[in-house]
Amino acid sequence: MDDYKFLFKVVLVGNAGVGKTCLVRRFTQGLFPPGQGATIGVDFMIKTVDVDNEKVKLQIWDTAGQERFRSITQSYYRSAHALILVYDISCQPTFDCLPDWLREIEEYASSKVLRVLVGNKIDREDREIPTHVGEEFAERHNMYFLETSAKEAENVERLFMQIAEDLMKQARSRDLPRYDASTTNINGRTSTVSDSNCCSRFQ
Amino acid sequence: MDYELPTEFDIIIIGTGVIESIISAAASRIGKRVLHIDSNNYYGGLWASFNLDAIQKLATVEETLNEGLGNTFFNVKNFEIEWHIPSETPPESTEWSRQSLLKESRRFNLDLAPKLQFARGDFVELLISSNIARYSEYRSVSRVLTWLNGQLETVPCSRSDVFANNKVTVIEKRMLMKLFLALDSGEEDYHNYENKTFRAFLTDKKLTPNLIHYVLYAIAMCTDDTPCLQGIKNTKRFLDSLGRFGKTPFLFSMYGSGEITQAFCRLSAVFGGIYALNQPLKGLILNGDNFEGITCGTQEIKAGVLVMGAEKAPPHFIKQHPKSSIARAILITDKSIMESEKEHLTLLLYPPEGGKNSCVVLELGCLTGTCPKDLFVVHLISRQVEGPQNDFKHIIGNLFGPEKANILWSCYFSIPDSNDLDLTVETPKNVTLCPGPDLDLDYDDAVRKAKAMFTDIFPDCEFLPRAPDPEEIIIEGETSDQDNVELKAESAKTEE
Ligand SMILES: Nc1nc2c(ncn2[C@@H]2O[C@H](COP(=O)(O)OP(=O)(O)OP(=O)(O)O)[C@@H](O)[C@H]2O)c(=O)[nH]1
Ligand SMILES: [Mg+2]
Repeated sequence: MDDYKFLFKVVLVGNAGVGKTCLVRRFTQGLFPPGQGATIGVDFMIKTVDVDNEKVKLQIWDTAGQERFRSITQSYYRSAHALILVYDISCQPTFDCLPDWLREIEEYASSKVLRVLVGNKIDREDREIPTHVGEEFAERHNMYFLETSAKEAENVERLFMQIAEDLMKQARSRDLPRYDASTTNINGRTSTVSDSNCCSRFQ
Repeated sequence: MDYELPTEFDIIIIGTGVIESIISAAASRIGKRVLHIDSNNYYGGLWASFNLDAIQKLATVEETLNEGLGNTFFNVKNFEIEWHIPSETPPESTEWSRQSLLKESRRFNLDLAPKLQFARGDFVELLISSNIARYSEYRSVSRVLTWLNGQLETVPCSRSDVFANNKVTVIEKRMLMKLFLALDSGEEDYHNYENKTFRAFLTDKKLTPNLIHYVLYAIAMCTDDTPCLQGIKNTKRFLDSLGRFGKTPFLFSMYGSGEITQAFCRLSAVFGGIYALNQPLKGLILNGDNFEGITCGTQEIKAGVLVMGAEKAPPHFIKQHPKSSIARAILITDKSIMESEKEHLTLLLYPPEGGKNSCVVLELGCLTGTCPKDLFVVHLISRQVEGPQNDFKHIIGNLFGPEKANILWSCYFSIPDSNDLDLTVETPKNVTLCPGPDLDLDYDDAVRKAKAMFTDIFPDCEFLPRAPDPEEIIIEGETSDQDNVELKAESAKTEE
């Protein structure tokens, strides 16, 4: 399980109710959760995928509901390699908020972070945002674009695989936002190992 | 806002300072319904970090008398910002200008209350035991300096440091090692020193004046009057934290100390805490000596318990006003105070001098994520005597200027210290006020206070038990043939 070559941090943002949690769970667990409400205690989900015969581990972070009242912590954006901005194609206000989200991303995320715009819920009949409108917005802001349905499993796999492949390419050309490797990681497991010896550095 | 806040909670927490955020995380963690709310549009209150633009704006919002909740006793005071470079420079110039510095504004994370962490202190242990460590990254302080005989000197911290230090004679090396070993073994007898100072103890040990300086002012962070037992305790604490991460006992959180409150808030949110910044807090709903709820905009929100930062409290809750202040300066400089090949994260412990208190100086380079490349951010922190400008004049004169590092931008202010006040006297029984930043180098005391308050509010409840790792969580509704029964309890569902 732990023999991966690359670990990438992917974060999701977007208005409440656009389907961020459903996208993550569709991809990592292959299911569409029935009923509403976030699962308590889930911080991020992990899935290891194969890209060109290499194991790539994706660590996918969800907003923990802090987006509901526009209160996402800056630290949520730190060290992200890719950022997925989600709106709901059947809900105009979630599209209208995109510029606000971009402003926040500009402010807090690395300028090199890979950005993807996602229009979710394409299974719905009551579409309000035509595909080309989303496409144009993404193009204007230098983002990838994809429409998905977490419910029908449309394009979800493709979304995350595309991100994994792109980040791999960047990693190979050393164009990834680089987060300094010599920072100290003090989580429990490593510290028990390090207790007796000196000058431990991890990651 | 399209969403209305829910109107019933177990606990409402106003303000996102360190103590409030720890209590919030602890309450959510045991399944309490938490509303964590702030009138500011940023996390951290008096413990926050700002980019260069934002901190300048902070200086201009002087004492806005709010019609809502809050008082002005604990406001940041004496704010003064000064540029030491031209507003523009010719395009071909490589010198910094205001314009070029402000262009990098986002790369700065300037702390109101910079802190370090002892590698084996209570705070780091809590981060590890609660699994909150995963939300932030740390860098270890790479050298400890002091000011001795008119110049900067490296303080020998560890055994290898002691031996590598060429300013310390062989005899001194032995003396120092002997002292460290004696303190470490705990076999020393101090009963003759109960009423004496730490300085007297070190003098009796026949340490040379230089060694006394290193141990007293740097390693033990004492003054001439510190009681012996306190000095011993401090020294042991320093030695105990050596050798865990990096060369010194200290860690600094990447991207600034403001990240700390956010880590606890994230945990609180992950366990169901509701977060709302930038809220129009209008007042408290009280029934005699009982808190019942808050008014936020047009909403009334009920809860059985209120926890709030002292600065957010109605003025009549505050019987005692702050008596002392923390003097602060933040400088942006173009060179390290002591240049070397590799970038250092430097802690300088500047001894008391000429009626001025000792001062903690923290120099951060770009590897800490708090400033752009080729620049440094320098924090000065001291118990205020006259005011930040005067209190730091001698230090700044000694460390900066022609031939040395230049100051490009400076910012002075004072933070009233609310830690020595009794904040319980005028508050209803189910209201707890949290003090703001203290003068300590680290968060251990803040953790102790937060834990005491939490235990007071929720007796018999576990304080921040370890949060499960994502791999361990079993989501309900899935069929699983593993027998991780105890972990299943961790993933209860919310009803919305
Ligand atoms: N029809 C349809 N409904 C979806 C889809 N994805 C999510 N939903 C529904 O949208 C609602 C919100 O989904 P979540 O995944 O909880 O949304 P979120 O963005 O995580 O929102 P919060 O965590 O509540 O802020 C739920 O009722 C889902 O069932 C989709 O692809 N199609
Ligand atoms: Mg969600």
